Amino acid sequence: MDYSKKIQEIASKLFADNKINYFVGYKQNSFDDSQVPFLITDPAEIPKLVFTDRSVFNLANYLKPDHTKRKRVGLVVKGCDSRALNLMLTESQVKRENIYIIGICCEGVLNEKGEKAQNCVECVMPDPVVYDEMIGSPTGKREYTINADIRELATKALEERADYFESIFENCIRCNACRHSCPLCYCAKCCIDQETSTLYHGANTSSGAMHALMTWSLHLAGRCVDCRNCEKACPSHLPLHLLHKQNESVIYENFQQHLAGMEKDDRGAFYKYSLSDPDDFIL
Amino acid sequence: METEVKETQGKIFSAENPGITAPTDWQPVIMGILCNWCSYAGSDLTGTSRIQYPPNIRIIRVPCSSRVDPWFIIKSLQTTADGVLISGCHPGDCHYISGNYYARRRFLVTKKLLNFIGYHENRIQFSWVSAAEGPKFAKVVAKVTEDIKKLGPLHRYKKENF
Repeated sequence: MDYSKKIQEIASKLFADNKINYFVGYKQNSFDDSQVPFLITDPAEIPKLVFTDRSVFNLANYLKPDHTKRKRVGLVVKGCDSRALNLMLTESQVKRENIYIIGICCEGVLNEKGEKAQNCVECVMPDPVVYDEMIGSPTGKREYTINADIRELATKALEERADYFESIFENCIRCNACRHSCPLCYCAKCCIDQETSTLYHGANTSSGAMHALMTWSLHLAGRCVDCRNCEKACPSHLPLHLLHKQNESVIYENFQQHLAGMEKDDRGAFYKYSLSDPDDFIL
Repeated sequence: METEVKETQGKIFSAENPGITAPTDWQPVIMGILCNWCSYAGSDLTGTSRIQYPPNIRIIRVPCSSRVDPWFIIKSLQTTADGVLISGCHPGDCHYISGNYYARRRFLVTKKLLNFIGYHENRIQFSWVSAAEGPKFAKVVAKVTEDIKKLGPLHRYKKENF
């Protein structure tokens, strides 16, 4: 999967037609074979643009500030990124006419060890759901499988699971990189930032981290698209996907097989209801 | 200051003073979050009907069960509560027409997630109680209190120095 040439062609055409003010893509990292997000305003820098199976980051995150209200942006999205972008469009965070989307039919990206990443193995939608131009040939929607880690943890005893999660939360340094790296965490004032409030306990303990991560993952429940930008950004290497995949599996099983960002104008599982939702856990 | 208090307590409740015993009879604290239109009126009916129910529940009134942010549950369990009971109108009876349907979805995901990270599922309970179901409210509170008494005090993820 090497689409560098095609992306460079499209980007130079967009700049020549004056359709965009800047372009968001990937650039080769200078010290190893990984890649970093790359923002271009000058067409002379176009030859530096690359796209291979090392292009792991979700570039929809770079539309989060108010950029697209004044400027026109071109960007590269994979399947999962386009789902996040779809949600951002539905939630009126981005103006559709101000962005030019290059959708890529993704064949899966690699993780740090050079293997196919877990979220790509379990990917449900490798093709872009929203795009102006598509690269590659679409392979269609795949069947949803419950995450392997979730299935393994579900078989463990409650206390064992609690010890495991407590050890995870203890390592959280509360840097909020997970929140900043998430394209769907765009609130100007986040509720978990209210450090002086009596509502929020922001200490660097497993209790404080539990509070922050639970609140965060429940705000993303029914919206998370499993791009794993949060996990890539986490300096403590916490398995944050566990919380999101757990919510996703519960929502998929119970709420009409809902998956976030797949359709236009779908705001997420918590914005709608069905009369036949499960009721057996209520006394 | 704290150590002093602990030391004094240690002296009071020790073998030197056999007459005084430490309070061992632990009682759970249950956070009850009730919807204004059904469950709160239902609990009022329980009281006015002189039906006995365990006094372990601390009731908070909210306009609708969909007002309950999962944050309320997390915060309660993190601070003083050993369990949480949230109660609203029966499906179809919501004062705001569809509030409890939205709440139902949120409750399921919250309950499963908190169970996933290590809270026993009986610590987070939900019920539908209408304004006419005074005896049912008493039964629900008795059941929840009994469940949580069996589980014992909650120490997991508790906020320190609260």
